[in-house]
Amino acid sequence: MSATVRAPQVPPAAAEDLPAPRRRRRRGRQVGWAFVAPFGALFAVVFLVPIGYAAYLSLFQDRLVGGRTFAGLGNYAKLMGDELFWDGAGRVVLFTAVQVPVMLTLAMALALALDSRRLRGERTLRVSIFLPYAVPAIVATLMWGFMLGIRYGLVRDLNDWLGWSLNPFQPGTTLISIGVMVTWAFTGYNMLIFYSVLRAVPHELYEAAAIDGAGQWRVIQAIKLPAMRGALVVTVIFSIIGTFQIFNEPQILPSLVANSGITTHYTPNLYAYHLAFTGSQQGYAAALALVMAAFTIAIAYAVQIRGMKRALDQ
Amino acid sequence: MRLRTKARLAPVALVAAAALAACSTGGGTPDDAADGEVGGKITVWSWDGTIERAVDGFEDAHPGVEVDVVNAGSSFDQYQALDNAIQAGSGVPDLVMMEYFAIPYFAIPGKLADLTPFGADELEDDFVASAWNHVSVDDGVYALPSDFGPAVMFWNQDVFAQAGITQAPTTWDEYYEAAKAIRGLGPDHYIAQDSNDLFFLLSLIWQAGGRPFQVDGTTVSIDFTDAGTAKAVAFWQKMIDEDLVNTEIAAWSDDWNRALNDGSLASQNMGGWLTSTLPERAPDAAGAYRVAPMPQWEAGQQVGAENGGSAFGIPEAAGNKATAYAFLEYVTHGDGLDPRVEAGAFVPSTRVLESDEFRATENPYFGGQRTGEVLADVAATTATGWQYPPFFEWARSIYEDIASPLYSSGQGTLADVLETWKTRMVEYGNEQGFEVD
Repeated sequence: MSATVRAPQVPPAAAEDLPAPRRRRRRGRQVGWAFVAPFGALFAVVFLVPIGYAAYLSLFQDRLVGGRTFAGLGNYAKLMGDELFWDGAGRVVLFTAVQVPVMLTLAMALALALDSRRLRGERTLRVSIFLPYAVPAIVATLMWGFMLGIRYGLVRDLNDWLGWSLNPFQPGTTLISIGVMVTWAFTGYNMLIFYSVLRAVPHELYEAAAIDGAGQWRVIQAIKLPAMRGALVVTVIFSIIGTFQIFNEPQILPSLVANSGITTHYTPNLYAYHLAFTGSQQGYAAALALVMAAFTIAIAYAVQIRGMKRALDQ
Repeated sequence: MRLRTKARLAPVALVAAAALAACSTGGGTPDDAADGEVGGKITVWSWDGTIERAVDGFEDAHPGVEVDVVNAGSSFDQYQALDNAIQAGSGVPDLVMMEYFAIPYFAIPGKLADLTPFGADELEDDFVASAWNHVSVDDGVYALPSDFGPAVMFWNQDVFAQAGITQAPTTWDEYYEAAKAIRGLGPDHYIAQDSNDLFFLLSLIWQAGGRPFQVDGTTVSIDFTDAGTAKAVAFWQKMIDEDLVNTEIAAWSDDWNRALNDGSLASQNMGGWLTSTLPERAPDAAGAYRVAPMPQWEAGQQVGAENGGSAFGIPEAAGNKATAYAFLEYVTHGDGLDPRVEAGAFVPSTRVLESDEFRATENPYFGGQRTGEVLADVAATTATGWQYPPFFEWARSIYEDIASPLYSSGQGTLADVLETWKTRMVEYGNEQGFEVD
């Protein structure tokens, strides 16, 4: 980000020797700033200021009696020892570790299938796989809640017919059900990214492969999968960011199903919301939000570095 | 009442406004305000639609006064808006609605005006005792009760009849026997559901004489081991252990509506306010439901408890307190009650509850039963002395976290749940500057 904001630097030696161009250059620099200013202002207002304010808030403790007092890094220290926070953080890490690979594998497989040109109604398929992404998360959660509910839903009917006693919203299975919902919603989106990459592969490569006698599997291994590597890095990062912030599903489900095991600290985001709006502990919630942001950025960055390194190794 | 569910789902109140609010003085001392002239404009925040009905009458009686009733959100959303307005020092309403349990939260840090200088303390006898109990905090009166929910039993007499029971159970022992009989009707049949319904459990404790919360200023003591609490908890534990209550259906959910409709849930112990929404939730059961007092702990007793209710208070920072109080008195105590009652409000005013008109009205959904009479009688017997801790909204929001394992897989006991809840409340309360033990 900062690279876009920074204006080109004038080498100092050159500027001293040549006064006339220097003036011109300075004017050029000012013009550059002017071009960047609208973005810079917006960036500051919607990005830097809120983060700065959260950082400021995180240094204070809010109390119903006694008001706001300076706490230094006390909120951060407390957070490190807060088992409710770690419970939620551990849950999203586990969720990410399982759900993201499943979803992206599925998305890649679908993209390859669509790109194979052997399917009928390719366009309809593409749109219908993407469609869940357009359904608002709240609507989707309600829909899945009814479908997986054991009282009147689809699962109830299945249980009746087959004599099962499946319950997708028990404390032990709720996370899996949320995984299913998220996978349903975002597979199409990721598939579209992979698919567009595949469409950009030059046709000559396939022709050359055909001349060399490569079969479909060989083409996938040697051309299509390597082509998708860059997109994979991007989708992994997006998915990690998304799953770490999971909020809607656990927020809504408890009003649909009883005792699903979803607590007010089920995910870090839910916990932050609860701390700020029910517990009146905005400072603590701000500290939590910043720690989670740092954590997410660190992991996304690690993935990016690793992904780039692989790409360079190629 | 959907409103109250929202209250449970949504959290109470933001904010470090405590600090600012504590030192905000509004317009002069309460005594000055009390002597003020009635006139000008006031803004009222209310999610109770019946308040609007009383505005015309008040404006007619006080020419030149303008009352603006605003729905600033229900329950928590509104408390948050109020906290924000107080903190910002502008946009503070002159009169504001809040649930009983939220009154100490606003009164203790000084965000609500004491209404004693206005003469509110003289109205005590005109309100149901337990409702009055909620609005008096530390020798002051911080609100006037506007509506409330005496805990009553809604029972589906058709389903009870199928199980061979023709009378509403009058004691909890009879209720237990009825639960077993109804359980015998089929695998889906239960006398009631309980998927960790805190407000029901508290009403049970309340009725049994337990008073787990004692509040004195910023000192709070919590004890779930007194005899009344222990009795209520042990009884309900037995109901859960013997699979006599359905622990899978969440109240207010779609499942719940269906089960009320098809009779697989045979009864509900809830606040009297359910009278007005049950017809929408269970239209197919029209004519089948009756209202009865909640079962008693001892045969022949008549002890009531409460499940929900709200009041109106005047923020300390309000600009037009004299007019706000005049309107407050009008809608909760004076002539403004009549149009509200007509519109369906259930008010804790003894004048209304004792009136023939209220008591004699037959309710067609309940097979022509005079439901007002039942509710009014229960209201008159509601036990007093119950208090909510000032951080109750937060406390009830974490209760579900703690109770959920018990209800989903039978781990632990209700008594354990309450002890864990207490530990968390003590920790939180002390952190928030209260003295809690």
